[in-house]
Amino acid sequence: MKVLVIEDEQGLAESITDYMVKDGYICETVTTFRDAEEKIHLYTYDCVIVDLTLPDGNGFQLIEMLKRLMATTGVIIISARNALEDKLKGLEIGSDDYLTKPFHLSELNARVKSLMRRRQFGGYTEIRFQELVVVPQTRKVFVNGQLTTLSRKEYDLLLYFLSNVDVALTKASIAEHLWGDNIDSADSFDMVYSHIKNLRRKLLEKGAADYIQSIYGIGYKFSQP
Amino acid sequence: MKLLAKTNRIYLAFSLVIYLLTALAFYQIVRLLIYDEVESRLRVERRDFETYVRIHNSWSSSPYFVENKIEVVPVSKRQPVKESFRDTLILNRYDNELTPFRQLTFYEPIHGVMHRVSIRKSLIQTYRLIEVITATMVVFLGLLLLGMFWFQRRLSGQLWHPFYDTLSRIKQFDLSTNSSLDLSPTTITEFNELNDVLQKMAAKMQQDYRSLKEFTENASHEIQTPLALINAKVEQLIQTESLSETQTHWIETIYQASRRISRLNQGLLLLAKIENRQFNDSQRIDLANLLTQKLADMDDVLSFKHLSIQVGPVVPFEVSLPAALADSLVTNLVNNAIKHNQPQGRIELTSTADQLYLRNSGGSLTTEPERLFERFKKESSGPDSVGLGLAIVRQICDSYGLRIAYQAANGVHEICISRA
Repeated sequence: MKVLVIEDEQGLAESITDYMVKDGYICETVTTFRDAEEKIHLYTYDCVIVDLTLPDGNGFQLIEMLKRLMATTGVIIISARNALEDKLKGLEIGSDDYLTKPFHLSELNARVKSLMRRRQFGGYTEIRFQELVVVPQTRKVFVNGQLTTLSRKEYDLLLYFLSNVDVALTKASIAEHLWGDNIDSADSFDMVYSHIKNLRRKLLEKGAADYIQSIYGIGYKFSQP
Repeated sequence: MKLLAKTNRIYLAFSLVIYLLTALAFYQIVRLLIYDEVESRLRVERRDFETYVRIHNSWSSSPYFVENKIEVVPVSKRQPVKESFRDTLILNRYDNELTPFRQLTFYEPIHGVMHRVSIRKSLIQTYRLIEVITATMVVFLGLLLLGMFWFQRRLSGQLWHPFYDTLSRIKQFDLSTNSSLDLSPTTITEFNELNDVLQKMAAKMQQDYRSLKEFTENASHEIQTPLALINAKVEQLIQTESLSETQTHWIETIYQASRRISRLNQGLLLLAKIENRQFNDSQRIDLANLLTQKLADMDDVLSFKHLSIQVGPVVPFEVSLPAALADSLVTNLVNNAIKHNQPQGRIELTSTADQLYLRNSGGSLTTEPERLFERFKKESSGPDSVGLGLAIVRQICDSYGLRIAYQAANGVHEICISRA
């Protein structure tokens, strides 16, 4: 799976790349419009993560160019601009997602995964983790082959964990993933806790191992116990 | 009132006064002249009479004097010898009408007896003369007045045409578009100067507007990017296995702080954008419906905090707002109602066609309700609030013709939005 990160802020580009590489992606980074243009023309990528404001050009033009050359490449815009027009324009010219800076790396990762599933297998692919099987197309979860009924939030939470296995997730990132950017109160962390409690209980009931570990002061991690 | 209507009205009133005064003076002058004429003729007749009496030493009602022209009455007592003029009305024998006369009265001894002699002259002709003169004058002065009025209107209409042209173009001028203000040159120096000044001002405003807009966009980018960097690095740091409890605590604090700055930055930018009127795609939006939806979206949070919702009676409350701002307004109101509520509390939404009320239970306030709309004014000093929510709500209301009021009494907080 090849990902191209077009981001002029070197540090941020590095962080994204590190995160992606750890997850098994082949990841390349460019910091200028010119370099990005060259890469797009030379190679094929499964997904392109592009910043709109580049020192020598505009991300929108890159997306238009990319869509002309290779329409199946997934595009995720990351931008500090949060104006509705920018989002609409981005989606209109063919990008698949729009993330406003600052974002959580785990959120970006989850969006990339979801995009890849939609693009490559039309959503039919199953996500497997040990005895857990998730079928995103039908939003069904199986533990040891048994269907497990989860609420919408619990399902989203599980999928978020599965997109970020072995990664420490902050409570804030989980809250924002589940309820959107508008959740900014301390209460949201308590809500996260209650959903995690329920999800863990339901998985354990069906005989799954306890994969959700809490990390003191930070949040949670989904990994082999 | 329009400038031209105003000047016309003043002109009309002023000319009317002047014309009335002129007419009055004219009338008086003509009357004086006529009286002078009549009186000098009466004096001549008096001399004739005296000559006659001196020659004949007697008076007979000579046929020379027609009816009512002279009256000679003997007076016994001593009378003042002064002559006097006065107006009088005498009954005409033929048509039985009172006709105006000018009368000269003097005293003359005839046969040694003092007589009072009154010689009269009819004023009927002169009255007619005055009438004719007055009528002519009224007609011609009226025509003059109307003529001047019409001319003045035409003239000023033409003179002020460039002014009205400029005015209509300024009205159509939109700061946020790229088209500059084009004013056509005129033959009048003052208007040309005005147009020049306006064009320069408009260009400057447009430039300022553009640079302000660019500034807010750049500021957003320049602040959000380092914040994104901090967040990303902190997230990577979190992944480190060997963190001590103190270290995670520090990281957590850094993380919280950077997210808070980010929210603050976004809030301030939104405020700046509303102030700069960078949102201009207003549409009719039913706020009551939008609020109901938003409350429904928050069901998770509401049930978690055990808040009960009561909606109704709700009548569509339609306002003209850009969709993005309507969403921001509603989100902030709902967040506010949830955040400052008590456990087991309630939220109530009611609306009429002109007013919308959102009430929530909550503790008593320590600050004045109106001050909560100020920026960075927070009721509690919780770290999760940046104190911009209500300021944004207020700014949106102020910029789009809505009035907002906050009241708190007996543990019920009420926000009322109405049309200004």
